[in-house]
This record gives sequence, structure tokens and C-alpha cells, in this order.
Amino acid sequence: MLSMNARLLIAASIVLASFLSLTGLALDKAFQRSVKNGVEERLKTQIYLLLGASDLNQDNELRISSRLAEARYATPGSGLYARVVDKSSAVIWRSDSALGLSPPFQATSELGEMFFSEVMLDTEEYFSMSFQIAWEINPRQQEQYTFQVIESKQSYNTQVNGFRRSMSGWLAVAALILLAVQGAILRWSLAPLRRLANEIVDIEEGRSESVSGQYPAELSSLTRNLNALIHNSQQHLRRYRDALGDLAHSIKTPLAVIRTSMQTGQADKGQESVTEQLQRIDQVVNYQLQKAAASGRRALSTPIEVQAVAEKILNSLDKVYASKSLSLEMEIEPGLRFNGDEGDLMEMLGNLLDNACKWASKSVMLKVYSGTIDGERSIGLLIEDDGPGIPDQRLQQVLKRGGRLDSNVEGQGIGLAVVRDLVEELYLGRLTFQQKQNGGTSILIEIPQ
Amino acid sequence: MRVLLLEDEDLLRDQIAERLRKDGYAVETAANGADGQFAGEEYPLDVAIVDIGLPDISGIDVLQAWRKQGISFPVLILTARGRWEDKVQGLEAGADDYLVKPFHMEELLARLRALVRRSSGWADSVLSCGPIQLDTSSQSVTVNENRMELTAYEYKVMEYLMLHAGQVISKTVLSEHIYEEELDRDSNVLEVLIGRLRKKLDPDKTLNPIETLRGRGYVFRLERSQ
Repeated sequence: MLSMNARLLIAASIVLASFLSLTGLALDKAFQRSVKNGVEERLKTQIYLLLGASDLNQDNELRISSRLAEARYATPGSGLYARVVDKSSAVIWRSDSALGLSPPFQATSELGEMFFSEVMLDTEEYFSMSFQIAWEINPRQQEQYTFQVIESKQSYNTQVNGFRRSMSGWLAVAALILLAVQGAILRWSLAPLRRLANEIVDIEEGRSESVSGQYPAELSSLTRNLNALIHNSQQHLRRYRDALGDLAHSIKTPLAVIRTSMQTGQADKGQESVTEQLQRIDQVVNYQLQKAAASGRRALSTPIEVQAVAEKILNSLDKVYASKSLSLEMEIEPGLRFNGDEGDLMEMLGNLLDNACKWASKSVMLKVYSGTIDGERSIGLLIEDDGPGIPDQRLQQVLKRGGRLDSNVEGQGIGLAVVRDLVEELYLGRLTFQQKQNGGTSILIEIPQ
Repeated sequence: MRVLLLEDEDLLRDQIAERLRKDGYAVETAANGADGQFAGEEYPLDVAIVDIGLPDISGIDVLQAWRKQGISFPVLILTARGRWEDKVQGLEAGADDYLVKPFHMEELLARLRALVRRSSGWADSVLSCGPIQLDTSSQSVTVNENRMELTAYEYKVMEYLMLHAGQVISKTVLSEHIYEEELDRDSNVLEVLIGRLRKKLDPDKTLNPIETLRGRGYVFRLERSQ
């Protein structure tokens, strides 16, 4: 794929080239026009000059004074030629410059009109000016004469070519300067991208942990999200590593017990303790698996519609606890969204609602609403049941326990412990228990959004 | 009760099947999704146990295929994945309950019994019709609170008829749901079983719980007390 630099450079160069060539074309046209106008004026002057030098002799014939103010008429082949013809096209006078040459003089039929044209003879180009005049010899007699002046195009061509040469020179200089400026602008505007690419290389090669520099507005959201992604993946990695370590450590003790039981070989007691330790291993694996599977808040993820997730969970529980015929109710602020992972939300709602259904005698209630924690926007999930409530001692056990599950734990506590870890460690939220006066438990999760 | 066990792990399948047979189930087994799906479509099942992680077709797909065809026996899914996402996916696909591996066999049996009961409209684990009570967890029958001594097959017949109390059950259906092997057409095993049951439950012929409808089958006549 073409680099951005190349794209911009190619596009700008095409624009520049077409602009400069159009400019050149326009200038050339304008210059030619004005030079041609000059030539026309000059030839008119020549006609007037000839008219001024004309006079009738004694025989009433037209004569041109030999002392013309234009020296080029006297020099053969000078490039400026003139002649005068009468009505029958007989040459009355011709300039000395046309001696031995036959320049393409142009006739005109319009009386009293200057007729300007460009003529070509063989390879030679000329400008021509003709003027027909009626000369009154006496009140009864008029004679018609045509004055014809013709000038070679050579000097005109020299002028135009000279102009073109200098114009294209200047345009080329302008193009070079513009290209250089444009290159500099590109370098300057794309510098943040280059810097970002370098930083990413640094991150890839482990020299740096995040994108640190200041970036223009267009890139800042990209770098922010990039940093968040990197942070996420580092967190994940750390969590997996921790979970793996915890897992290995907490399985070692039960394994040791099993091994000793097998070796001492007490039939009944041995099997009992093996079963017990297997159960412990199972719990540990479950707990760590669930913990490791939690995603946490991810960069660039879409907020989750709470209603849909809650409905799925409640429908599922409705099926599983069908024989208890519980009333499962929910009250969710319409359109409320949870800024986090769908699986995590399912895990929180699923575990807590499952517990609630397990212990409830008739009804389970889920309320989800938006609120604030310490002035920040938050989401509140409240789960209530009308069961006997969690014994205080068990509750303390579950809540006090740290991340590791080395010591013995009651089976049902795992769901709660997983939720607690999710809420407090991953989403930096709060988990509050409340025993209700008339029996039942209410659990409130508050998560900053 | 005829149960389908769809599980690809041989050892686990054999152990579960053995335990189910011991508990009085007629067991069909399948080791992969295709066989399992076929069995579900062909056999008259009361309940199925389906492992989600199968080698060929996923258990979820098998389940969805059944449900799409209107096959409605209750299904218990077994999964190694304990995330709610997975549980919800299974239940949404048409499962009625789930169990996360590893599980206790007793738990599996209890869930199965609950599913079978629920699908025939019984909420409690003790089925009671008038003076007769059948406890599905302890597999015992009492009449006026006197415990009856029933053989395994007598209990199976009793359980099936009571679960479907009020419905006419043909001999074919009854034998299909009780015996793993097909019964000989001319066999009178069922008549003998029913006769023995009547004698044990109702020696004075006052209750007359099981009625014979000639040419159609049997019906458990006592009203459900629940």
C-alpha cells in the first residue's frame, strides 16, 4: 500500500503541475495578444506615414515622396514592405525593401477600413495591413488607391519566444520552491504519526510500556485507547499469571494430603480424606477458572444493555428453579447500559441470583439503577431474596478471604467470592450485604461507570 | 424411565450408565453428536443427559436440532465450563437444567428425577394420589403410610403409571419406558407385574388404583393430591 506521505506528495504534485501549466498557458496567450496589438498599431502608423508622404503630381497621378521617415523601406529584405496599387491592381509604388521579392500583399474591398491579417507564404509568416482610399482629384473625378504594408513575423516570434523562455524559467523556480515547501509541510504534519510508530516499535521491543508523548487532537483518542488496550492486556497477563500461581499453590496442599493418605493406606479414613481433598481441588479449580475468565473493563468495548442480560439470566433461572415456583421480578431503568464485559455482568448477576433463588422461599427481586459513587456516575445492582439470610459467620468468611483460596471454604461461598473479586478488584466497585429485618438478604453491587 | 446418555468420555459414560441402570433407568448411550441426535429422534425417551463438548457436533447443536423438530423431552446438559455465559447459552438452546463437571452422581440423579417429575407436572419429589404415596428419591411406595415391599420392576411400573396418573398408557409405551430390551409381543410379563402390584397395593380391592382398558392399556385412576 502506498504510504500516506507518497499519496499526499503525488496528489499535491499533480495539483501543482496542472496549476502551473494553466498559469503558463494563460500568461502566454495574454502576452501574444498584447504583442499582436502592438504590431497592429505599428502597421496602422505605417499606413498613415505612407498617406502623409503621398501627393498628386502635375498629371494627377499619385506619388510617394522618396524621403520616408522609415529607414526599413529603403533597405532590401528588411522585413517591412509597402506598396500602393490602383483600382486595377496596377502597382503605382513599392518600397525599395521589396526589391526582387514578392511579399504576399493583401487586397481589401472595404473603402476607408484598415484590414489587418496574418498571412503565410511558403514558410515565411507575415502581418499585413491594407487600406483603401478614394482620392478626390477634382470635384468630378475620384481615384481609388490601396495602401498595403506587410511585416515579417520574425521579430514578433523572437519576442514571444524570449518571453516563453523567461516565463518557464520562473515557473520552474516557483514549482521547485512550492514542492520544497510542500514537502516540509508534509514532514511537519506527519511527524506525530512517525513518532507514534516509533513509540509502538519501542513498546513491541519492550523498551517502553505505554505511549507517553503529547499528540495532536486527531491522534489523542487513538493513543488513549492504545494505552488502555496495552494496560488491559498487561492486567490480563498479570491476572493469568497470578491465577496460575495461586492455582498451582492451592492444589499442592490437597495433593500432598492425598499422597500421604494413599501411602499410609488406611482404608476408610484414607478414602474419605481423598474424597474431601478432591472436592477441595475441584473448588479451587472452579474459583480460579472463573476468576481468570473475567475480562474486566476493556478499551473500545460497547456498553452492554443490562435489561437483555438480566432477562437471559432470569429466564434461565426460571427454568432451573421451575419446581420452586418462585416469583422472579426485575426492575431495571429502561435503556440502562453497563460499561464492561457482558460475560462479567452475567457472572455477577448469575451467581448472586442463583444464590438468591437457592435460598429464597417465594420471591427474588432484581433492581438495576444508575446512581453515583463519590460524585462519579455508577450503576447499582440490588438483589433481594426472602430466604433465611446468610449466617453472619459464613458471610465474614467469604468477605474476609483474600484472593487466594488456600484454606478450606464452603462450596456455596465460591460464587460469592468470585463476584466479590469481580466487583472489587476488576471494576473497583463496592459489594454490600444486608440482612433484612423480616428475613432474607439484600446484596448491593455498586460499580463506577 | 428411558434415558439417553450422550457423553464422549468412555469411562465417564460407562460409570454414569451403570449407576443409572442401578437406579432403575433403561439407558441408551451415544458417544458422539450424530449418534446422539439420531437416538433422540428415534427412541421414546423420558429424559436426556447431553455433554456439551462432543467431538463432532456440539451438544448445543444436537439440542437445538431436537427442539426445532418439536422433540420436547427434558434435557440436562453437562458442561465443563462453569461460566454463566455457557450456562445461559445451553438453557436458551432448550436445555432444562445444567450440571457443571465434575459433579456428584447423587446430584445428577436428583436433577434427573426432578426433570422427569416436572415434565409430567409433579412439583414435589413425593407423588401422592389418595392414600398412595410414591417417594421418587427413596424409591419407596406407601399405602396409608404402610411401606410396600416392591421389586425393582414393580416399582418402575408403579412410578411410570403414577407420574402419568390419569393418562392411558399402552402396553407398548409402558414396556418401552421400562425395559431396555424390546419385549416379546406375546409376552405377558406386564400383565403379571400389574397383577402382582394390584395384590400388594390393594389386597381388599377397595382402592382399585390401576384400571385395565381392554385393548388400550392401563390407567392410574386415583386423583393427584397435589
